[in-house]
Amino acid sequence: MGDTVLVVGAGPAGLSAAANVTAAGYKVVMVEKEEVLGGAPILSGYARLVPSGEWAKDAIGRMVSRVEEDANCTVHKNAKVTQLDGEAGNFTATLSNGETVKAGAVVLATGFTHFDSINKPEWGFGTYEDVLTTTQMEQMVSSGKIICPSDGRVPERVAILLCVGSRDRQIGREWCSKICCTVSANLAMEIKEISPGTDVFIYYMDIRTYGLYEDKFYWKSQEEFKTKFVKARIAEVTASGDGRLLVKGEDTLVKRPIVIPFDIVVHAIGMDPNEDNPEISRIFGVGLEKHGFIERAEHYTNTCGTTRRGIYSCGAAYAPETIDDSISQGAAAGARAVADLHALVRKAG
Amino acid sequence: MATYAEMQQIYDDIRGDFRYDHELNGCLNCGICTATCPSAQFYDYSPREIVQLLWTENVEQIYDAMQEKIWACAQCMTCAARCPFKNSPGGLVAIMREVAIKHEMQSAKDVLRPFGRVMLKLITTGNQLSPDMIQPDHFPDWGPNIQKVEGDLRLLRKAIPVKTLQTVDTAWEVSLKTSVEMYTIWEMTGVLRSLELMDENLFDVIEDFIDEKREDYEDWLEEQEEDEEDDD
Repeated sequence: MGDTVLVVGAGPAGLSAAANVTAAGYKVVMVEKEEVLGGAPILSGYARLVPSGEWAKDAIGRMVSRVEEDANCTVHKNAKVTQLDGEAGNFTATLSNGETVKAGAVVLATGFTHFDSINKPEWGFGTYEDVLTTTQMEQMVSSGKIICPSDGRVPERVAILLCVGSRDRQIGREWCSKICCTVSANLAMEIKEISPGTDVFIYYMDIRTYGLYEDKFYWKSQEEFKTKFVKARIAEVTASGDGRLLVKGEDTLVKRPIVIPFDIVVHAIGMDPNEDNPEISRIFGVGLEKHGFIERAEHYTNTCGTTRRGIYSCGAAYAPETIDDSISQGAAAGARAVADLHALVRKAG
Repeated sequence: MATYAEMQQIYDDIRGDFRYDHELNGCLNCGICTATCPSAQFYDYSPREIVQLLWTENVEQIYDAMQEKIWACAQCMTCAARCPFKNSPGGLVAIMREVAIKHEMQSAKDVLRPFGRVMLKLITTGNQLSPDMIQPDHFPDWGPNIQKVEGDLRLLRKAIPVKTLQTVDTAWEVSLKTSVEMYTIWEMTGVLRSLELMDENLFDVIEDFIDEKREDYEDWLEEQEEDEEDDD
């Protein structure tokens, strides 16, 4: 119908889009494939968010309840859109739960998929119990205890490897995932806060704590939490005889290969295009850009557009994106959708 | 010591190789190539340094690296398999070595001289390490595995279901025809020309040998034709 926006995906971007559409006086039908709303920050159990420092369950939780308590927002959980007919102003979506939704505009807030570290076997994930991903480490921080999964000891040294699944032509990931540098600097501080005896090393190719993240995260993590930043991309992670992990790299400033023992190695995993994107592209008739993310329309005058009229997108569906910017883009996509509905109202009037 | 113009020419020859742009895309100085490099563990050699010197067009340091460093690379290409930019430092070293030979650099001659015997064996028999050369005393680093090559080598070799491997005094049997074809390939691809630039004496010995083998092959071909005529 001409007063409804279909929002696909209930992460930060989708929740923001939905709230902004209903705030403008229109209705939202939200479709989420998982059982719970909140997207990656909730599903993956993120700890404190960058840059607010709020716990994910509190911050994103507020966004979820705002939508769930909204009488003008109908939510379908555990559901997917299986077919989309019609055109801008008059779409009909068929859902996997058998429902049919009529909507004037669509917002794709379908997000991303975390990089699967199994695709970089030389870095030991899946081989050694004490090799973790940033999301697993965030869960450990949320639990309030920093211990080696293998035997429960408190780690003396933790290594965080940046650019795992990012900036790597060898595995077809030719993009920067944008958030991992800041998230890792933040994670290093959280680890030190919980476990003051643990030293954290971050191995980097470049540090991209852009904008206001420079002093608040990069500098602070060095100055106040003594995080060691080493300019090196790690060649491989192996096991030492005594149950620790050996990290092999080149200290590019000292210019010699080095092998250093660690107790926990954390992969700062990047953001892949949503693994469902080929299906999303087919069902919604929108194009994908060369890396597999949703293709952006001309940005200056068709902000949040896709290759199909009446279908908008936002957040990590377009490219690796921060939570804060995903929320802003969700609001923008919601505004574009509302403008379409408003035009229909004026035409009918 | 070369003049600056000579060093510039050496760099230009490296840069002008058709493989160059494929092997070098850029460099973030991440060091994964050197971290993973077996030679860097033992020698004053760093693939990252090679890439950086070429990327920054440092012709003097490139010339310097070609004196000794580039010869420490084992050409295992692990660097190429790991580089996030898909550079191939090992591939760049291969180009630099070819240019060093082309310019008849003394360093190349010095480094390659000990390999003259290997080259001779390779070209004359088609292979170098034969089973009967593997004596336990010569390979202490093999440890207990050396037992695997003790015993009746001739019998063990016969168990291999590949005809060319049923020999013990060469690694495998190379047919006359294959040898002659290899000579043509080495001639046309410039391998023999490189050898001539590096070691003229060795080249003369090998050239005589090749001529002999080619004559043998011609004779053999004639014999075949005569046999056929007899059959008719």
